[in-house]
This record gives sequence, C-alpha cells and structure tokens, in this order.
Amino acid sequence: MKPSTVLIRDIPSRFRHQVPKYKVTRSDACINCGMCAKTCPYGVHERNEGYNKINPPIDYRCIGFECLDKEFCCINKCPKHALSLSLNPMYQTLGDFRWTPDIITGTWIMAETGYPPKRTDIEYNVGNSGGGFDKLRFKFPSRPSGLDVSEISTEIPLNRRDDGRNNIVISLPVYGGGMSFGSVSLPTMVSKAHNATIWNTFTCTGEGGYPAILREYDDHVITQIATGLFGVREETVQRVKIVEFKYAQGAKPGLGGHLLGEKVTESVARMREAVQGSSLFSPFPFHSVYSIEDHKKHIDWVKEMNPKALISVKVSTPNDVDMVAVGSYYAGAHIIHIDGGYGGTGAAPDIAKKNIAMPIEYAIPKVHKFLKDEGVRDAITLIASGGIRTAHDVAKAICLGTDGVVIGTAELVALECVRCGNCESGRGCARGIATTDSNLADLFDEDWATQRLTNLYHAWYVQLVDILQKFGMRSIRELVGRTDLLRHIDYNPETELKADG
Amino acid sequence: MPKKYHINSRPALLSTDYLHKFTIVRGENCINCGKCTKVCIYEAHKRRTDDPRKMADPDTTLCRNCFRCIQECPRGALEKSLSAEFCNIGGTYWKPDMLISLWKQAENGSVPVSGAGYRGPFTGNGFDSMWTDMSEIVRPTRDGIHGREYINTSIELGNKLNHLKFNSDGELASNVPDSVAISLPIIFDIPTEYLTPAIAKAILKAAVVIDTCVIMPVTAITPELEKYASNIIPLLSIGEIDAHEAILEKARLVAIEYSDDMIKDFASLKEKIKKFNCAVTIIRLPAVRNIESIAEKLVRNGAEVIQIIADYKGNEVDSSSGGRHLKDIIRGIHLRLVEDRIRDGVTIIASGGIAMAEHVTKAMLCGADLTAIDIPLLIVLGAKIYEALEKLIVMPEGLDKIPQPLITQRIVNLMGAWHSQILEMMGAMGIREARRLRGESGRAIFFEEIDKDTFGNLFKKPEMIKT
Repeated sequence: MKPSTVLIRDIPSRFRHQVPKYKVTRSDACINCGMCAKTCPYGVHERNEGYNKINPPIDYRCIGFECLDKEFCCINKCPKHALSLSLNPMYQTLGDFRWTPDIITGTWIMAETGYPPKRTDIEYNVGNSGGGFDKLRFKFPSRPSGLDVSEISTEIPLNRRDDGRNNIVISLPVYGGGMSFGSVSLPTMVSKAHNATIWNTFTCTGEGGYPAILREYDDHVITQIATGLFGVREETVQRVKIVEFKYAQGAKPGLGGHLLGEKVTESVARMREAVQGSSLFSPFPFHSVYSIEDHKKHIDWVKEMNPKALISVKVSTPNDVDMVAVGSYYAGAHIIHIDGGYGGTGAAPDIAKKNIAMPIEYAIPKVHKFLKDEGVRDAITLIASGGIRTAHDVAKAICLGTDGVVIGTAELVALECVRCGNCESGRGCARGIATTDSNLADLFDEDWATQRLTNLYHAWYVQLVDILQKFGMRSIRELVGRTDLLRHIDYNPETELKADG
Repeated sequence: MPKKYHINSRPALLSTDYLHKFTIVRGENCINCGKCTKVCIYEAHKRRTDDPRKMADPDTTLCRNCFRCIQECPRGALEKSLSAEFCNIGGTYWKPDMLISLWKQAENGSVPVSGAGYRGPFTGNGFDSMWTDMSEIVRPTRDGIHGREYINTSIELGNKLNHLKFNSDGELASNVPDSVAISLPIIFDIPTEYLTPAIAKAILKAAVVIDTCVIMPVTAITPELEKYASNIIPLLSIGEIDAHEAILEKARLVAIEYSDDMIKDFASLKEKIKKFNCAVTIIRLPAVRNIESIAEKLVRNGAEVIQIIADYKGNEVDSSSGGRHLKDIIRGIHLRLVEDRIRDGVTIIASGGIAMAEHVTKAMLCGADLTAIDIPLLIVLGAKIYEALEKLIVMPEGLDKIPQPLITQRIVNLMGAWHSQILEMMGAMGIREARRLRGESGRAIFFEEIDKDTFGNLFKKPEMIKT
C-alpha cells in the first residue's frame, strides 16, 4: 500500500462555528461603512445584502495578531478605529495542559484538510504539560538531506518472531487503540476500522465485543481479550489477524474497565451478554492468571485457536514493566504494547488517571533497553501508547525506543472531541462520539468520520516523512532508539547546543 | 478476618451553590430560536417560563463544557469563559478543580470518575511529583474495591515493639505499650477558630461513624460532648493537664503542642498523663527546618506519636519561600529514624496540605503512619480558600442553619470517597494492609529520581554525568 494513493479531500466541521482563538471587538464608534468587510480576506466581517448594519465579527476566522502587519488588516483600515483584537477568553475553556487548545485546533485542521496547518500562530506539535514529550525537541541537522520523499518508508513489521505466523506489515507506525462498543458509538468504531483498512493498519475492538458490522474490516481489526471477557468468542478470535490480551490500561492501571450503567443500553448489554443498565466493571487482573506460566497458557490457548494470529500483550507501566515485557516475549507474544499512566479512557477514577503508574516517556526507554540487554529486542515489536497526541509525539516515542504507537484520543479529536471529559456518565458524549445513546450516536455518519480520520493520518504521514527526510533516513525503522537525535530542554538547553557549534 | 469496614454514603446536598467553572453569556444578537435548548443535553439552556418567546439566562451551573451551544448557535450569540470566581479561588496548591471535586465528594460520597485521560501537568510540586506503582499480572489483591478480598485501612497510634519476648514458660515477658487503633489513616484536626459547638458536635458524630478521632482544644469539650470522649483527642498545654482530670480520664489520645523542654523531659510529661489514664500522647511538632533532629531526640526520649504540622500548602513553616514540602519532610524524618533504628518506636502523623485522598496514600508511602486533615473538612461546609495575596478562608453565611446531621453526613461522604480511593490505590499496588504502606517508597515513583535516571542519563553529555 502506498500512502500517496490515499484519497484526501477537504471535509469540514460538522458545526457551524469553530472555537475561536481571537476576539475581534467592534465598538460603538463603528459607522457601518463596510470597510472591514471589504478588506478582510478571511471573512471575519460580513454584511448581509441589503442590510445597513454589519454583522458581529466571526471570530474564529481571524488569523490573529500576525495580521496586524498585513496591509489589509481591519484594525488598521477602520476609519473610526472601532475594531480591536484580543485573545478570546473562550479559547481558555478548550483543552488542558496536555491537549492544549492549539493542539486540538491543529488536529481539527489536519482532519479537515489532510495536511499540517499552514497557520503559524498555533503550536500543534508540543503541549503545555511541562514534562515528557513536551520537553523533548528534535536535533535536526542544519543541512537538508536532499533525500527524495518518495524513497521514504513509514512501514513497520509487526511479526518479528519468524514463526510462520502472519507477516503483517503496517504502512504507518500507528494504529488505533481499543475502544469498546459501549464506550464509543458504532459510527466511531466503524470509521476507525474503515480508516485502518484504508491506511493498511489496525484498529482494536476494546473489550466490549465484536459488532458484526465490523466483519468487512476483519483483516484490520485487533480483537481484545480483556479481564471481563465481554463478548469474547472463539469465532471472533479466529477471524482476526491480531489478538490482544489486555492486562491493564494506562488510565486505570490495576483497576478493571469501567462502563457505568447509564451507558449499558440494550444493544451494549446484548453484545456483552450483560444486563441493561447495570454498571460493568471488569475485574483486575485476569482471574485465570496467577503467574507468568498462566500468562503463557493464555497465549498458547489463543495460538491454538487461531494458528496464524499474532499475539499482542497490552500492559500498563509499573516499575517492573521491563520484566513484564521480557516475560511476555518468552511467553510467546509478538507485540508488547505498553500503555502509559496518562493514557486515555472512557471512564476512570481521577485518582488513578493522575497517580498510578509511570508516564510512557519513562517506560519506553526502560523497556527498550531491557529487551536489548536481554538480546530479544529484534524479535519483538514494541508498541507504546498513553499520551501520544501528535506526529511529533510519534517520532519522539520512536526515538526513545518503541517501534510504533497506538493512538486513541487523537482519533476522537479528529472527530471533533473537545476533551470535555464527560464520556462516562448519563447519555455519554454530547458530541456523539463516545456514546451509545440512540439520538446522540447519529450526530455524524461513517463517511464523514472516516474521511476525517484518513485526513488526520495523512497529515501525520506528511509530518513523519518530513522528519525522516530532515534526518536523511529512508525508513522509520532507522529512527528506533535514536535518542541522540533528541534533546531535552532541561538537560540540554539550546544555548549550550549552540555553543557546541 | 475482621468485620469488613465500610462507610455508608448517601446524598447530602446543601441548598447553596459552591463554585462553577464556566460562565456562558448570551449576546444581544440572540434571536430566541431555541437551537441551544435542543443541542444542550445538560439542559443549561431553557426558555423563560414567564415568556416562552424568549430565552432564559443560561444556567451555567449545569454546563459541562461540550461547546455544542457555542458551535451551533446560528448567530454565534453565545460566549463562554472561565468564571471569575473560578479564576480567583484557591491557588497553585488548592487548585479550583480540586475544590469542586471535594465538594462533590461531600455531596455523594463516590469516587470521582471522568472520561478522557489525565488533563493536568506532567508533574508538579510536592505530592504531585510522585506516582504510585501497580502490580501488573500477579498480585495479592484482586478486583480492587469491587472484590471479595478485604483491604484493611486500619492503623495504630503508639509505639510498637521491635519484637516480643517470652519467658521460659511461654508467657509474654515484654511490656506491650499502649496503642490506639482507628479504621482509617486519617484523623480530624480542624482549626480551632472554626470549631463552633455545633460544628464540633457534627464532626465528632462523623468521627464516631467512620471510627476515627478529632483533635479538639480541651476548653471546647463541653459536658454535652463528653459522651464522644473516646473519639476526642483533647489538645492542651502542659499547664492545663491537672485542671482537666475528668476529660483525661476518658481520653484514649492526648495532644500537646511541642515545646523545647520536651526534648529533655518528655518522660515525666508522659508519666503525668498516664497517671489519669493509659492515653497515648501526640506531640504536635511544627515542620521547621531541623525537624529531623528534633523528632529523633523526642523519640529517644520516649515520644509515642509525633504530628508533623506543615503550613496549609504542605510547606515548612519557617521558610518564607520555598523550603521543603511535606512529602520531603516526611521522607527525611522517616529515613532518619529508620537509620537510627528507632522508627518503630513512634507513630508519625503527617498534616498540613493534605487535600486529596491521594495525599494520604502518598504521605504514607513517604513514611507517615497516618495523616490529619483540616481544610478539606471546611470545604465540605462550603468554605472558600484563597491563596493570593495571603491565605484567606471564607466561611459561608448561614453556616449555623445547616442541620447537624447534614454536616455529619457530608463529612462521612467525603471520608467514604477517600476510603474508596485509598483502596483503589492500594489495590493497584497489591497492598492489603494500610500499615504496610508506611515508608514503602519502593512502591512509589519519584519524579526527581526517575527523570534523572531516564532523561538525565540519556541526554546529559557524558562528561556531565558524575560517576
């Protein structure tokens, strides 16, 4: 599959208005002369045909302070100086330290256009968390490599054991994380699977069963066996190419899944073979696993059931995550998927999200090094997740030592999630993404959602290729473990680097 | 197996509002089309009841920040911002979101649960610079709070023997010191100025329900409260001891403010108290810079329980800016006493800046046996705290009109929520006894250590790494 063959097209927001970064204020001094409407090329100011009065400014179209230097800037052109520009207080209510308003806006633009934003006033690669990825920067060589973009590959293989099972190669070092039916809507699930098929990568069912509608995407769906065993059937295990054991989830390590009763609708209950309206808590851990030998027994059981499938083991990031990874290798896993403590979720106790287990930025180098020292790094695929928000995060994670990443929230943001954090209760997501409410789940259709995801993946692909080209690398696989290409702004401030010449 | 400890929560709403995060303003260009009423699933937008042709002001207390009304209003007439009070209240330690969370826990007693990943900064000061470990595949606790295995949160106050001695007949030869067991590693230490008789009674009743104790000035213990004597920790000065014989006779624990004389002669003070009863004495020690050496001397002189009192943000009390946070103070004292092999001789209570359930577990992992809480109990009542420009606590009006049982239930709810959250953390760590949390720093992940171990090693130039 060639990423250049993927069809990209503009697919606008579902909503009439975007969340504005700036606020254009028109004072009483305005004489409705219409100069602003004439001069602004972005359509901030409009006057309806036949009306004397000009409409209130459409803030979200404004490009902000950089416009002040432009000849056409409304602020300067207004004959009565009636216009002023400021940051919109609304922007502060969007997002948070990790997903800043700029990252959310940038992701929306990527989902809309298929390319990284052209706007220079938003920082869409780095967040504001003050640690981890947000303190890492690339050390790009000053001279361009001159490498032809068409020679650059972002493919990674998932089976490195050479054991006669599926030799799966995915076209991007990214696949979609497990979100169960119940936690997200059916259109969300289907569009994720459809996009995974378009991009020759994978998506995961989560632990809520395997809706029949996903059947046509079987070759790009990972089915999850989690501790609650909701919806796990021999038939679903047999029809996929990758089976994932979920031991733990980064957002709630050491706790089982949470699906609050209000979201257990009739169809969810049927899929999970549970009672409608009753909260579903998965246990922790597997009640059939009391030792690493039992863990192997689990893997053997699936391998027996599906002789071609790859086995992925998803764990969170305790202090001994490196030992768990090696143990899983010896138990026969093809993929070890580590999910960091700041990972996403449809519902988790706040205390767990904030405090339990380490952030993924520490776990990746730890596991990578341990697998290397053990001499098995080249025989297993390491996948990381839990706070991968941007293409730059992907590349940084790979530099730290992972082969690829799993994303979750970024896909939902492409579908216009605002990260309001109300996925867990009541009717679920007001924006129709993480809900099974019959009215809300119809807020968008699969075609719209699939194209948004396809566009996002394309924008990330463009960014990854750009990074590889700057480093003069032909394959994303060359980037694995290259911490020498990163700097940390605490440990190597820029001034020091410059002094190095 | 002990009877399963459980805190019964039930809804306990006050009639007043507390704090809201968002403000939505309806602009003059609203055309009263009602689109917002259709798109808001939280019912923040409604038509006016007196004139249904017009829209009512948005009820922003219901806003959950979904942006739908903002984005779907045909005229773009709605504007949302952080509410002015949300921006002013609290500060860098008592974060406004934390205050809202405490308030909700008091209302319903349930563990705060939300969707989407963690939203806060990567790391922070004090307790925010540590994470707790978990057991991945194999561990002794299963199912966390939903399971059948019992996770015990009880702890004991008093000194413990390193080992027991038996005589040749197999009889116990050691003199086992007095100790007091409570079911939750939290005692109440509400600032005296807020302890009105009504509040004192309500808090005491809550303490009885959840099986803990309340530190209370001896002069505030009215005859009416004496029936709660076993849950009261009378706080008195050395000079007051003889005057309050009746109260001391019933007390299981006694609290005394630290003075320098105690270092030399704690033994005689203890004797004086034991004369009335076998009560265990808590020495209340402000978190000064050299607290380790004071604590060590106190323990060598027979101190049974030491309460470390940091300021309301968990900082050292005698450093104007900076200074250590409670997390580091506790670690310092704990490790000093462990090195001196006298750690088991004393119980350490951490207090000052204990604001959330996670702080209890984290303080214990750092080396405390239990914690004492103050401001969260006031927030339950509706108190508002401001850090800038200086500490300010504003109690709500009409506090005396709140029915006592409601106050009691709200405190019970808060502790119920904290208990469940402590269980979540302990369950994840695979620790079934709260007593075993003490000093288990191997089950904690400290930012300063892991960041240096990981990024420090990866990114420092070779000559910069000291070997």
